[in-house]
Amino acid sequence: MTAVGLDVDAVLDGLDQLSAQRPVAAQVVATSNNDSAGAADLAAILGADMALAARVMKLANSAYFGLSGRVTSLQLAVTVVGFNTVRSVATVALAGIDDAQHLPDDFWTTSVHLAAAAGALGPRFQVTTADALSLGLLAQLGAALLHQADPDGYADLLGSTGLGLERFRAEVDRYGICSPRLTAEALEQWHFPAGMVDALHAVQSGADGALLRTAYEMTARLLHPRHRTMALDRVSDGRMTEAQAPARLMAIRSDVLQLQAALGL
Amino acid sequence: MPTSAPGDIVAAVLHAAAADSATALLVVELPGAGPPSVRWSNTGATELLGLAGSDLQGEPLHEYLTAPEGEPLDAIFRRERPTTTVLTLRTAVGESLACRVRSTPAPGGRLWALRVDPAQSELELALRASADAHEQRFKVLAERSPVPTLMSEQGMRLGHVNDALCALLGVTADKLIGTGWMGHVHHEDLDLVADTVVAVLDGEERELRARFLDSRREVRHTDMRFTPLRTPGVGEGFVATLEDITERRAFEEQLNHQATHDSLTGLPRRSRLWEHVTAAMATPEAGLACMFLDLDNFKVVNDSLGHTAGDALLVEIARRLTGAVRPGDLVARFGGDEFVVACATSSLDGALEVADRILRVLAEPVVLNGVEIRPRGSIGVVLRGPDHHCADDLIRDCDIAMYQAKSRGKGRIMVLDESARSAAHDTLTLVADLRQAIEERQITLHYQPIVEYDGHRPRLVSAEALARWQHPRRGSVPADTFVRLAEEHGLVRELGELVLETACRALTAWRVQLGSLAPARVNVNLSALQMSDNLLVQTVQRTVRRCGLRPEQLCVEITESALMKDPGTASTILRQLREHGVQVAIDDFGTGYSSLAYLRRLPVSYLKVDRSFVAELEDGHTAVAQAVISLAHNLGIGVVAEGVESWAQQAMLAGMGCVVMQGFAISPPLPEPEFVAWCRTAFPAARQEQP
Repeated sequence: MTAVGLDVDAVLDGLDQLSAQRPVAAQVVATSNNDSAGAADLAAILGADMALAARVMKLANSAYFGLSGRVTSLQLAVTVVGFNTVRSVATVALAGIDDAQHLPDDFWTTSVHLAAAAGALGPRFQVTTADALSLGLLAQLGAALLHQADPDGYADLLGSTGLGLERFRAEVDRYGICSPRLTAEALEQWHFPAGMVDALHAVQSGADGALLRTAYEMTARLLHPRHRTMALDRVSDGRMTEAQAPARLMAIRSDVLQLQAALGL
Repeated sequence: MPTSAPGDIVAAVLHAAAADSATALLVVELPGAGPPSVRWSNTGATELLGLAGSDLQGEPLHEYLTAPEGEPLDAIFRRERPTTTVLTLRTAVGESLACRVRSTPAPGGRLWALRVDPAQSELELALRASADAHEQRFKVLAERSPVPTLMSEQGMRLGHVNDALCALLGVTADKLIGTGWMGHVHHEDLDLVADTVVAVLDGEERELRARFLDSRREVRHTDMRFTPLRTPGVGEGFVATLEDITERRAFEEQLNHQATHDSLTGLPRRSRLWEHVTAAMATPEAGLACMFLDLDNFKVVNDSLGHTAGDALLVEIARRLTGAVRPGDLVARFGGDEFVVACATSSLDGALEVADRILRVLAEPVVLNGVEIRPRGSIGVVLRGPDHHCADDLIRDCDIAMYQAKSRGKGRIMVLDESARSAAHDTLTLVADLRQAIEERQITLHYQPIVEYDGHRPRLVSAEALARWQHPRRGSVPADTFVRLAEEHGLVRELGELVLETACRALTAWRVQLGSLAPARVNVNLSALQMSDNLLVQTVQRTVRRCGLRPEQLCVEITESALMKDPGTASTILRQLREHGVQVAIDDFGTGYSSLAYLRRLPVSYLKVDRSFVAELEDGHTAVAQAVISLAHNLGIGVVAEGVESWAQQAMLAGMGCVVMQGFAISPPLPEPEFVAWCRTAFPAARQEQP
């Protein structure tokens, strides 16, 4: 595949401009990165963006969190879904990919699968479900940015590569950076926690990237029946075995349905 | 601004940075062509790499820093913004070290300052190790704890469960993590659990009782304790512990069953009946009928076949009753041979149908100790009406109806009629008033003189104390009415003691006030029930002593019929009283059926000729009175005529040898002050003695 120069700075600048159009989302992201902020602070800010607030309320009342119809206040909704999830929802809005017309094929299907898979696998990797869910949900942001910068080329790349490490290598070859690392660049710019940025950076290799790598592998197995499977104990750095896969895949599939409905994406 | 800082400040900063061994700094140039190369390094960088500064100068950066997958390092050099990237650093001795590299562009677009931090500094490693150790300790504690524990990080989604919870539910942790555990909460309790979680996520600590289903779908009862859990930067979750109380609860239920159910028949006891009826009555429009069943002649079975047979009969009756009622109806054992059935119906016909069925199944033969008997019962039925405000009202009314059924000939069903209820209600009110009257000593005594006409001067030998009750609303209540009520409702001892005490105190007072004009004795009537009271003798002795009287100054009167109810006990009590010195008179003599032989053995001081025999004297019917008087003389005991209303009767009785008498001809019963006045002024003896 032909290498295409990707001006990452230009891409990130584009994101900055989008942020200016969604000031509440930007403020939510900034506040939720602050350890001293509470659910009340976050809810107060969130309340200024009706669309965002509605999305968080809907999510909190979804079957995924097991409290359908019981969460009546925005503050409680923030508490239920967790700060990271609120931040992820705000980030999706901030990046303008929630209502973007031009996204890669199956973008949200893949993202929701990644979120469900990371959420379900998180505890096994000593990552909280909330952190893992956010990581999975946002991992594809870089892919959206690559698609916006090079729609035809990226579509070809998607068509010719399988989800996961194979695609990351192709992205590096073509753009000089793989999509999760581009996501990491964006999240770093928005001061997301280092742990999350590191996990995205290390998606191709390294212990920090094991959870996300495994989530990509599980997603690929669920979405693409002809996916060339990779040994789970290798991608997961020994945290998961093939024997555990069937039960996990079933659980992830059930979570996906709940999350899809909840996120309305 | 650094760009405008004076040269000496720039020099100071540069000096500090160059000498700083704790921070590794490199300045890298990105030439137009060729790889990025090192232009400058500080002490920290050379120490980290294990090289001299001069060795680094001009070297390609990729000799020392590489991206994980070997991709070009161009991505870290942005002219517009700093970047942070995790790269692998290779030291002079060939060691690889993960580092976080912060790349800051310098003005001019050619140079970048790189700060290289080992991904985990020694402090970070130490802190991490300490945190890991803490977490490990907590994890071991939680996982090995025998207390089933679950931990949520988001809403109802669990992040962790421990082994004890898995063991309790018989499933692996994988099945419980996330929302999987909710599938094990009993569906009726799920709402409660979720509502509780909402409150806990809002910061409250909560406890609740919830049921879980284990892998075999068997119910486990648990006490759950929730504590909110705040994770900085994440949000709120909760920790919950479960206490399996299934066995304890089963034991409590067993105890509760034993407490609320009769051990013989297994039927609910009264307390459970009350709860059931009260709960049914809580719904105003709910139909409810109660029926009270009392077995007819159950005592005969007990007395003739023994208590074991009686118990077997009760068990059989309970079985038949339970089979005869409809689902949802309650059969309770009220006590002894009494049962109450509560039917959820607003139709009298429906209730009567059940009652009829009960009587039919009841009458089927049962063999006890080889004897075939056909049990019968009387049933009182009442339908809940507007006057029934509580369980007491309804059960009381069906009890009344049952008594009606009994009184109209056993083995029948009676529906409560209004007049019976009102009479029963009236009686209950009067009993309550009587109890209060006794407590407040509103029962007063009138005294009727008993005079001996022997010789020239009549002599006041005694005064018979007669109880009177002036009801505040009803006026005077006849003595036979309130004495009967006292006997029927367990007030007879209190009433008897009140009369005895009052009479004895009165005699004591008269002896002071009247001196020789006071009667020699006071007569007090005893009820039949008092004659079976083992404490009576002691009470009499104590009262007499307390009032400062001699025993012979008290005469107790007992009717002939009362005496014959339990002659054995009566005889014992009267003998003890006589031995103590108390006088004993048999009242209304001639109206009962006492055996003369028996009478001879009784320690009696007087016979009292019944007023009916005295009343017929003037009609020429003298035989009975004469016989009684003669009998007394022959047995060597005294005789007193009651109800003497004329001088003619008085003269005839005297002629027959009965000289001690009482009646309106002498004086009616008088209130205490009038009696005292009578003694002083009206009594012939007094007139004769006082000028």
